[in-house]
Amino acid sequence: MATALLIGHGLVAVALLGALTHQTLATWAPAHARPGSFFGRFRAVPSAAFANAIVVLYAISAILGAVVYPYFRVDVRPALEQAGHWQALGLFDIKEHFAAIGLALLPAYWLCWRQPRADEPARARTALTSILAFIVWWSFLIGHVTNNIKGFGL
Amino acid sequence: MTSSQSFRRFAFAYGMAFAVLYVVALKLDLALFTVYPSLGVVLLGTHHSRDVVAPALAFLAPAMYWYGWAATAALGALMFALIAAVVPERWTRRLWQGWLWVAPVAAMAACVYLTMPWFRY
Repeated sequence: MATALLIGHGLVAVALLGALTHQTLATWAPAHARPGSFFGRFRAVPSAAFANAIVVLYAISAILGAVVYPYFRVDVRPALEQAGHWQALGLFDIKEHFAAIGLALLPAYWLCWRQPRADEPARARTALTSILAFIVWWSFLIGHVTNNIKGFGL
Repeated sequence: MTSSQSFRRFAFAYGMAFAVLYVVALKLDLALFTVYPSLGVVLLGTHHSRDVVAPALAFLAPAMYWYGWAATAALGALMFALIAAVVPERWTRRLWQGWLWVAPVAAMAACVYLTMPWFRY
């Protein structure tokens, strides 16, 4: 059961990673990029259209992560503690903190993209998107490394 | 329009307040509840093992605080957000909107700082 949940958590994270990375790059890429260039094609996609999917995927990923977390605490973490992987556990703790903060930012993020106001600076939208992208990349990489520590033979 | 603006103030205040309150909950160890996953037990409040005779018990029945910290921050942020939603907009208009992203970034940095003991082993 835990393995199935973890795989589901990982697959949702991959989809989230793709959508959020696309949106973040499109947000940061110069608006005057050549139409045929890589960033030009990126910007041709309406970034706001990703917002709904990102909110849903982030929420599902967070829920699955919260469901899997007890398995990690009972079965995985003690083994890592015994093996002295304190840095990995610290990085994993940071991931959990970041994920919680990111989850709370979703309503504001969604409003910035789906109902932008003319009197609000675009910087807030760019910053929130970048923060979420950082959190998702961090969570994905640290979760993956923690999961694979034994496979790496570290 | 008014409800939309209220929800906007609610959402922005919630994001900022949660980030700050999560760090407070983490620093002060204010978990709304403690979860013992191996026992299937949830206790209200923060509970730490006081067993000094057999500390291995904490190893056999590990406690989880993350859910409790998040719940504490969520509950506190909900109060701040509800207040922000009902106060007149002119009260919040002067608030710098940069706090919306500065607060979470600062909170993330604080979380890293509070996790530093893990890296001193």
